[in-house]
Amino acid sequence: MIRNYLKIAWRNITKNKLFSVINMLGLAIGVATFFLIMLFVADELKFDRFNRRADDIARIIFKANINGGKISEASVMAPVAATMKKDFPEVEDATRLVNAGVPRVRVGGKQYKGDRLARVDPNFLTIFTLPMISGVPGKALLNPDEVVLTKSAAEKYFGSEPALGKTIEIDGNKNYIVSGVIEDVPRTSHFHFEIFGSLTGMKEATSDSWMLGSFYTYLLLKPGTDPAKLETRFPQMVATYMGPQILSQMGVTLDQFRTKGNELGFAMQRLTDIHLKSATTNEIEPGGNAAYVYIFTIVACFMLLVAGINFVNLSTAGASKRAREVGVRKVIGSEKGQLVGQFLSESFLTTTIACTIAAVLLWLLLPLFGALSGKSLTLNLESWLVFLLLGTVVGLVAGIYPAFYLSAFKPVEVLKGRLMSRPGKIGLRNGLVVFQFFVSVCLVVGTIVTYQQMKYIQKKDIGYSREQLLIIPNSYALGKNERAFKQQMLQDTRIKGATMSWFKPVGPTNFNNAFAYTREDHNKFVNGVNYQVDEDYIPVMAMKVLRGRNFSPDFPTDTLGIILNETAVTALGWNVDNVIGQDVVIQNSNRGNSVDSPYHVIGVIKNFHFKSLHNAISPLFMTLDPQGGLIFKLNTADVDGVLGDMKQKWENFQAEDPFTYAFMDELFEKTYDAEQKTARVLNIFAVLTIFVACLGLFGLATFASELRTKEIGIRKVLGASVGQVVGMLSRDFLKWVSLGAMIAFPVAWWAMSRWLENFAYRIEISWWIFVVAGLVSIAIALLTVSFQAIKAAVSSPVKALRTE
Amino acid sequence: MIKITDLQKLYRTEEVETVALNNLSIHVKSGEFVAVMGPSGCGKSTLLNIVGLLDDMEGGSYLFNGVEVARFNEKKRSQLRKHNIGFVFQSFNLIDELTVYENVELPLIYTKVPASERKKRVEEVLEKVQIMHRRNHFPQQLSGGQQQRVAVARAVVNRPKLILADEPTGNLDSKNGNEVMQLLTELNEAGTTIIMVTHSEHDSQYADRVIRMLDGQVIMETVG
Repeated sequence: MIRNYLKIAWRNITKNKLFSVINMLGLAIGVATFFLIMLFVADELKFDRFNRRADDIARIIFKANINGGKISEASVMAPVAATMKKDFPEVEDATRLVNAGVPRVRVGGKQYKGDRLARVDPNFLTIFTLPMISGVPGKALLNPDEVVLTKSAAEKYFGSEPALGKTIEIDGNKNYIVSGVIEDVPRTSHFHFEIFGSLTGMKEATSDSWMLGSFYTYLLLKPGTDPAKLETRFPQMVATYMGPQILSQMGVTLDQFRTKGNELGFAMQRLTDIHLKSATTNEIEPGGNAAYVYIFTIVACFMLLVAGINFVNLSTAGASKRAREVGVRKVIGSEKGQLVGQFLSESFLTTTIACTIAAVLLWLLLPLFGALSGKSLTLNLESWLVFLLLGTVVGLVAGIYPAFYLSAFKPVEVLKGRLMSRPGKIGLRNGLVVFQFFVSVCLVVGTIVTYQQMKYIQKKDIGYSREQLLIIPNSYALGKNERAFKQQMLQDTRIKGATMSWFKPVGPTNFNNAFAYTREDHNKFVNGVNYQVDEDYIPVMAMKVLRGRNFSPDFPTDTLGIILNETAVTALGWNVDNVIGQDVVIQNSNRGNSVDSPYHVIGVIKNFHFKSLHNAISPLFMTLDPQGGLIFKLNTADVDGVLGDMKQKWENFQAEDPFTYAFMDELFEKTYDAEQKTARVLNIFAVLTIFVACLGLFGLATFASELRTKEIGIRKVLGASVGQVVGMLSRDFLKWVSLGAMIAFPVAWWAMSRWLENFAYRIEISWWIFVVAGLVSIAIALLTVSFQAIKAAVSSPVKALRTE
Repeated sequence: MIKITDLQKLYRTEEVETVALNNLSIHVKSGEFVAVMGPSGCGKSTLLNIVGLLDDMEGGSYLFNGVEVARFNEKKRSQLRKHNIGFVFQSFNLIDELTVYENVELPLIYTKVPASERKKRVEEVLEKVQIMHRRNHFPQQLSGGQQQRVAVARAVVNRPKLILADEPTGNLDSKNGNEVMQLLTELNEAGTTIIMVTHSEHDSQYADRVIRMLDGQVIMETVG
């Protein structure tokens, strides 16, 4: 019996080749993209789950609101970990991590650069699941001169020889003994380091300051602890430990500080929320975005739904052709169950082929999707099994409706040619058209808006020129030769200028929290960033001085001068015309001291974007304190030549560090990497969804013209032209497509407005976007429908009428 | 074999109720060859569909071999149908995707006849209707007469006691029509009961008895 079913199924598939290909391709695209996106989503949700006690680990973050400036930092002060462990019985253990950057490593005379160093408490390696390959778990990092290496780092430094007990030199000044080798930190971790040093013996690690410090602090909670409940006891801790230090350093009590609307304290983040939900300013690594995970999931489900609906539609669209077969089979003895079985095995065959196509698509698209989304996803046996399961479920679900629909035909009716005059079913189908085009138009609007916003970012006047700016981030490694290097390079006519600063308006850069207040009002804190620059910074970056002047070697007192941006001027209660000559006190956390130093305002610069366009421009103070890396302004097309010469000169100084460089405009692009990727992925989804929706529409048009064959025949006999018939058939669909678009407009507007709210600087969604999206969808729909409509309209009316 | 009393059949649309069969009673004995005649729309085909258990009835009684089947559900009807009744249609109604052989084999599959037995019976019946040489062709590759012979073969392959034929020669020329009528006569002579709806006076002469209908009622019966 099954053989008979499959035989018929195969003959039907091969008979309507175009139809079958469309049907299978649509389902294959739907299944493949759904699975692809779900792989991506599953991967995002998997972050930090590899830790055995992932659910019991939480990170403490610092939150504050000072004069309207919000601070949210992923790291806290040194004593927080120990205090929490001591004061809260729910805390089983606590551990800290300090991001120590990328040091120079020397092993046996060979130098390595690029491996990341973290200094951690010894219990870090046991709280997190970082299995030790050699060394004794729990005994490593107990001494200040120990390091633990990851497997790949150990292999890089020592080859096949055991690394345990060997010595490496870090940053040219100290030797460390390898006391353990661990597995590489899993890809799905929110931090990645190759070298773990010890916090033991580090002076800052034992500091009792509740004001300064950047220790990523993790708590291991006793199972079943409610973090929200624990959090309610944090304010008491702040009062006990932080209050006295605020009083002694800022001269206000915690209560006085709070009555001014200011707030500060700690909050907890579940380890498993860090990757997707954390919104702090100093993450160890950039994380994912929960919103995108939601959006992608919704899009994926839509895609599968649309593809499934189409499959059902296309399967039942050919129904009138199959109805007679059903009638005959029933007359000669088939029971309904047998017919259901037959049609289910047909759907099963079709979906099996479709899923095979999907598997091939998946295999082909995975690297491409990886490149687009910046994630290297792989397919293992487990994912293939899930895929198989997905295919089976889709095949079954998509097959059931057509199977019951087709097997329900009454033989008397179909054999007489009275077929499917069921308006209810037509209504459902039209509903599906509306839904599909609703989704399509939403995606088209989304694509246009993201494209425009990205273009806006590119074109926006960011307050400085990012072109031809060459950054040598590690030029401080030249030590006292740095200035000489700078002077030598400035001899080159291809170089227009050079400046020395740790600070750049794009990442990676130094960053700090500086608190400024006026002499008149000690309580009016303004939280901002203190850029330590030299006299050349403003001209090299092509920033604009609005009032006053730039720092100048002609004024020796400029070391006590300060330049403010427009936001800082307003925040301090002045305006650009009366600010010059005023005094500002800066309490600069970056300098590690708390001595209030008064500065004299010498200039105001035009606001420039030193954070991404997601954030509003906050107050910024510039002081004259040149140190850090170099930034060169080039004026040449011969960039490679300049780089070659520069590398040569760099090596002449016999620097310890290798010569590295970056371009400001490229770093700027990277800032919006996530958005660019999303835009690209969204773009592809939009195209695919429209494609699949059109497949559905094609099926429905076929179905409709089939149903109306007789009507078309009669109309033609009565004198209707081909054009009139095409118009009649197309109008019907356009009505539903337009309705879908109409519903999509407000939804898309709302969704994209929400997305744009992520940007402090953004485009307005203009009306023409909707017009374009609507017209594009309608045009594509029209094209699809008219193909079938024309076919129906030009066919001979005699043939049409004889089908009765 | 068939005893229908006071059969009532209505067709309803939203506004109109049409009486298709009105208090109709017929009686067909086992082994009879009955022709049903009458103008278009008089209810002949409706009657045939009800006799064949393809359609249900609003009122009256239907005894099939002494069993009341008027209130049978779809499953029971289908059981009865596949073992006892064979159908021949004006438009042949062969399944286009199946070959001649497969079309004829289909009823045997549904009655779960074992494969070896199926082969024997299909070949036997294809020989009988003289279409064996085209067993692997698809219906569209055959002439109308050949297609109808296949349809007859399919109707009899399960050895039904009753064959219902709805204008079996309606789409055929006279030569092919006569061949099909000859075939039906042979089957009748072998003991099969036949009820045939026809417009053709010529064809009705093959029958033992002719029932004439008008407006859903039997108006005359003539024994041939």
